[in-house]
Amino acid sequence: MDMNEIKEIFFQECEEQLAELESGLLKLNDGDRDPETVNAVFRAVHSIKGGAGAFGLDDLVSFAHVFETTLDCVRSNKLEPTQDVLKVMLKSADVLADLTNAARDGGSVDEARSRTLIRELEALANGEVPAAAEAPASKPAVAAPKAAAPAPVVEKPAVNDEGFQPIPFSFGDFDEEPADRYVPTCQILFRPKKDLYAKGNEAALLLRDLSRLGEMSIYCDMDSLPPLDKMNPEEAYFSWKISVTTDKGEDGVRTVFEFAEWDCDLDIRTIEEEVVGEAANEEELPMQPVPFDLSILDEGGSTGSDEEPAVIESDAAAAVAAAETVSKVAQVASRAAENAKAAASAASAAQANQAAAAGQTIRVDLDRVDRLINLVGELVINQAMLSQSVVENDTNGTSSINMGLEELQQLTREIQDSVMAIRAQPVKPVFQRMARTVREIADITGKSVRLITEGENTEVDKTVIDKLAEPLTHMIRNAVDHGLEMPEKREALGKNPEGTVRLTAKHRSGRIVIELADDGAGINREKVRQKAIDNDLIAADANLSDEEIDNLIFHAGFSTADKVSDLSGRGVGMDVVKRSIQALGGRISISSKPGQGSVFTMSLPLTLAVLDGMVVTVAGQTLVVPLTAIVETLQPEASAIHSFGASQRLISIRNSFCPLVDVGRILNFRNTQANPMDGVALLVESEGGGQRALMVDAIQGQRQVVIKSLEANYTHVPGIAAATILGDGRVALILDVDAVVAASRGQSLRQDISLAATG
Amino acid sequence: MASKKAAQKSLSLAPVLDLNEATALHAQLMGLKGGPLVIDASAVERVGALCAQVLMAGAKSWEEDKQPFTFAKVSEPFMKTMQLIGVNIDHLLAQEARQ
Amino acid sequence: MKKKVLTVDDSRTIRNMLLVTLNNAGFETIQAEDGIEGLEVLENANPDVIVTDINMPRLDGFGFIEGVRRNEKYRAIPILVLTTESDAEKKNRARQAGATGWIVKPFDPTKLIDAIERVTA
Repeated sequence: MDMNEIKEIFFQECEEQLAELESGLLKLNDGDRDPETVNAVFRAVHSIKGGAGAFGLDDLVSFAHVFETTLDCVRSNKLEPTQDVLKVMLKSADVLADLTNAARDGGSVDEARSRTLIRELEALANGEVPAAAEAPASKPAVAAPKAAAPAPVVEKPAVNDEGFQPIPFSFGDFDEEPADRYVPTCQILFRPKKDLYAKGNEAALLLRDLSRLGEMSIYCDMDSLPPLDKMNPEEAYFSWKISVTTDKGEDGVRTVFEFAEWDCDLDIRTIEEEVVGEAANEEELPMQPVPFDLSILDEGGSTGSDEEPAVIESDAAAAVAAAETVSKVAQVASRAAENAKAAASAASAAQANQAAAAGQTIRVDLDRVDRLINLVGELVINQAMLSQSVVENDTNGTSSINMGLEELQQLTREIQDSVMAIRAQPVKPVFQRMARTVREIADITGKSVRLITEGENTEVDKTVIDKLAEPLTHMIRNAVDHGLEMPEKREALGKNPEGTVRLTAKHRSGRIVIELADDGAGINREKVRQKAIDNDLIAADANLSDEEIDNLIFHAGFSTADKVSDLSGRGVGMDVVKRSIQALGGRISISSKPGQGSVFTMSLPLTLAVLDGMVVTVAGQTLVVPLTAIVETLQPEASAIHSFGASQRLISIRNSFCPLVDVGRILNFRNTQANPMDGVALLVESEGGGQRALMVDAIQGQRQVVIKSLEANYTHVPGIAAATILGDGRVALILDVDAVVAASRGQSLRQDISLAATG
Repeated sequence: MASKKAAQKSLSLAPVLDLNEATALHAQLMGLKGGPLVIDASAVERVGALCAQVLMAGAKSWEEDKQPFTFAKVSEPFMKTMQLIGVNIDHLLAQEARQ
Repeated sequence: MKKKVLTVDDSRTIRNMLLVTLNNAGFETIQAEDGIEGLEVLENANPDVIVTDINMPRLDGFGFIEGVRRNEKYRAIPILVLTTESDAEKKNRARQAGATGWIVKPFDPTKLIDAIERVTA
């Protein structure tokens, strides 16, 4: 792994932290006062700052630092997280996200905005109450905010193409001093306290480091050492007087004691070299010179335990010579020992790996996952075919083959679920991004908006998630910009001045349904109609239902905004939204109530998914109806069938009427309506919530099928969601229940295509 | 009853004489008090100041008891660390160790 | 024998940087993601030194340090606190909890290794 890879990980992590940050802030905004929420928010910013620092991303560090400082005030209860405070913080989270993106992909951020926010954050940290109406963001910054941040003010790093900036490397604290400089001697009084040892510091190691600074003499004061039976083995009794001649000076000595100085008495004095002798004489201490070669102390593992014990003479020179021999022997011995330990250390390494593996993730090419998913799909089909041929050839049905097959089926299914789970992801990140969109538009339009999200954990294939963000963003913009009224107007209408936008995700009928509801004014049908007439979309005297008028907004180039605002001026209309949803194999519809708001409903396939389906026969064709859509199946009786109009029929089920839809007719499998008494009715619930009875000829059975997209080869086929291969090798089409239901309401399947083509 | 003087006990020090070992070492020494003691420090890889304190307190107590307290074998790291922290044990080294 | 370092940090970025830096410097590295996992890993790892973050979910650095210091078997292990907080208050709390020393983030590799060398034999 190199630094670039780590940097990539850092940005991934930033994304997670930013999501964490935002959801935490939103929770606080909702009145959550759990300290853990505040901590999580703090940690997110803190973590981004930490990583950014390591990569020298100074802009990000400075901003994160100011943000973190203010969050710390909240954490320590110095700052009450009121809505006004959180407004600043949410905006800061957005800027932090921008800075992160800019650091990754290059590009610039709105500097005026971040400067303004830095000032606001600092004001909050200083206990100033935020102004209710905030100052315009475009004011030129007078004070350079960078000066306030503790980040090292280096020259703005020249970021190269990869956006990678090397970590400044420092070679220790001290520059090499010229050799001819006078070398001072430090006299040190070092008296450890008990805590020094309790905290894992070790006097012997401190003295070792001290001896590395230069020539050292030492005297150990043992006067306070009590007799054995009176002593506390963990108490500090020894103290030391040390004299070290070093070009690192007093600062160098202090650095050695950096970690220990709170837990010891330390007195350091520098004395002139000329008077060293005198001073030493004055002290009259039997200073013991310290051996210069301490390398043996660094190699904890090497001992000559089985050899002759180390030979030590009081003559230091001889000791060093002997030491060299011994350490050579020791090296040989330790090498042998190392071999012996190899197995043991391998075992412990494995253990360590195991420990480190907890909660780890790997990144895999999507292609590989897709290949796996395809293969598993083939496996499922193959297994189904195998089962079928066994059933056909084995009449007694109790053989061990059958039992084995059942297990195989179970396993196959589990494998499939697991593989699908790899690609499935919750819509949460996309929903979280919408929160920002709402804030920004609310700011620009001066409206007060609350976004409520539901079903964030609904999972859908990654491809769908990736492509969802854009249309959703646009719809949210629309909902706030065009849907919601200004606060004053809302108040005048007796509504809560704060508008609500509700974003919901749920699974229904084997699809994911995403709903975007606002409590605004609803579609102004008069205006939409007029606009459509002006744009020659409809004839001036056209007679359109409310629903039809509402759906006009999906036509190309349609915009109801009187003036081109900052938002709708981007040249993207609802037609583009509709097209991107359709490109995903989805549908979008709108229902609106004047004065109460509009609901946009998107239904998207869980692509690549498997489906539990009911296999049915319609006009000699085999179709699969998603099981999730089916409420119940029933055998129609003649008395329950009622006709009305030219070709409409209703079926009465438990005293309520439900339109009867002939699937074969809708799909143009046959030209005449089938006799309901010859078939079976499937009561289905469509995405609009209404029930319909779908007429099919016969039910073959239920089974799990693998969805094979038709779109790649046949483009979108109206009324058909996808295809599958059955156990006997036949291809069956999977019914798009919602499309069939919609078609039964009079919108023909063809019309759908023409709209898509012109739209 | 065997003479106490004859009952020379020996103590082998652990390889790592750190904070954790200080209490154990102290207890071991307390249990050996009253008779001559020979310490084998040949396996010592690391010795901290706390254990050095315990050993020196032991040496002091043995001296008060007029019993011999000697290091029969010492490892290189043990000896060097003692020198480093200014604890002179030359007078406690057994003849063989001093050679 | 290689010195063994246990690192405890919830940031994947920092964990990876530590791993690369320590491995390059010839250390054996074991990693945990928060204080709870740190204490669990500690049981089998027996490291020579611990490097830990302060702000972590579940069990933060202060709690983790206290946990180590209360552990009879491992209480002597030197612990270095790795944190962006260079202010005295955080250092103080870490020291009170039983930290041996600290490394200020963003750490540079030499300083990290230097600090480890200082507290280990």
